[in-house]
Amino acid sequence: TGRPPARAGRPGGSPGAGGASGRKSRRGRGAAGMAGLELLSDQGYRVDGRRAGELRKIQARMGVFAQADGSAYIEQGNTKALAVVYGPHEAIGLRAAPPQIRGSRARALPDRALVNCQYSSATFSTGERKRRPHGDRKSCEMGLQLRQTFEAAVLTQLHPRSQIDIYVQVLQADGGTYAACVNAATLAVLDAGIPMRDFVCACSAGFVDGTALADLSHVEEAAGGPQLALALLPASGQIALLEMDARLHEDHLEQVLEAAARAARDVHTVLDRVVRQHVREASVLLGD
Amino acid sequence: TVEPLEYYRRFLKENCRPDGRELGEFRTTTINIGSISTADGSALVKLGNTTVICGIKAEFATPPTDTPDKGYVVPNVDLPPLCSSRFRSGPPGEEAQVASQFIADVIENSQMIQKEDLCISPGKLAWVLYCDLICLDYDGNILDACTFALLAALKNVQLPEVSINEETALAEVNLKKKSYLNIRTHPVATSFAVFD
Repeated sequence: TGRPPARAGRPGGSPGAGGASGRKSRRGRGAAGMAGLELLSDQGYRVDGRRAGELRKIQARMGVFAQADGSAYIEQGNTKALAVVYGPHEAIGLRAAPPQIRGSRARALPDRALVNCQYSSATFSTGERKRRPHGDRKSCEMGLQLRQTFEAAVLTQLHPRSQIDIYVQVLQADGGTYAACVNAATLAVLDAGIPMRDFVCACSAGFVDGTALADLSHVEEAAGGPQLALALLPASGQIALLEMDARLHEDHLEQVLEAAARAARDVHTVLDRVVRQHVREASVLLGD
Repeated sequence: TVEPLEYYRRFLKENCRPDGRELGEFRTTTINIGSISTADGSALVKLGNTTVICGIKAEFATPPTDTPDKGYVVPNVDLPPLCSSRFRSGPPGEEAQVASQFIADVIENSQMIQKEDLCISPGKLAWVLYCDLICLDYDGNILDACTFALLAALKNVQLPEVSINEETALAEVNLKKKSYLNIRTHPVATSFAVFD
């Protein structure tokens, strides 16, 4: 019993204490300026020994919590995230509104379900202690991005006038937190039995020395190169969300996008296996 | 259940509870220590379905002026909406604040950790331990779970050796030499209720 979060076996993946974080290179190539840290060696190996297009080890479990309708836990390398879904239920206020304010009653949509996403990362999840786990700008933005992603994927027309809550908690951040959150939330929504168009698989990608890297770790993100986050519906190849805020020459965009899409499809293979395993275990318990 | 009190009384007549436990029996408890590598100390405790994770981060601070030889221990209990549908997002509710205060009182009264141990240089530099407890699954008995998680995480904390350089008056941290905290007492929390 209990859920043992096993440590992934990749060396050098966790953020060093103040060493690698905060090192930003303003040069367009994105390679870390400090001596001795090459993001991509001549033989094509990255800092933690992976190849350019290789993902970190993914381990995931569904149905980990009893209180929630659906829950999932995922580890991508050293990034640990868990997602919890409540719903569909009656559309209630999104915030804990004081009883005097009557006007902020639920904005229930008459033809579809309201998707409410919240992102929170624990104060101990990063190398430096985070002062505000939720409510700050980055958390709000992440919550909004997650909401956009899942509104595109969940079949909201089937549940009018109701609300689906997706809460994501990051326990340890080692790069690729958006991707881990989306993957965990997909599994949690599936665990809750809410119908979706397709899996939503996400991965991050970067660009160093003319090569596109998939699934960036914290060290690679902190180096300051361009980073792209992609959420994909694998069966149709449709993009649910694409986000990047860095400078990247448009000639390279195709290459980076292709690397991210390929990595997201690899993530899909893993998540599919996890779901099938979970269903197999559940049917064994039910005695089918 | 339509008649919750009657339902419970039927079990209590047989001296057991609906989930099959004896009256004085705890639920299955599991502890997982040190899984969060970004935190200086961490522990995850499961008491039946109630899950609490505690992460401890240590930072530097100047000691308070009235007690220059003591550090700080700052606990905080967070009951996020993901642990149960009864909680909403927003500022910490009453239950979270009460739990935080309870944990602070437990640390203070049990003398679990002597604040003098956290002092590096009296009047200039001391450790402050931020203990953040997050409830992941709320299935009752949160205070016991928080106390276990806090104790387990504190026993897992490793602080590096710090020395003050006399010339520059700056702190020098030696990350290679780490030592565990000295936990003097081990408080164990047991909650009980009187029914009928």
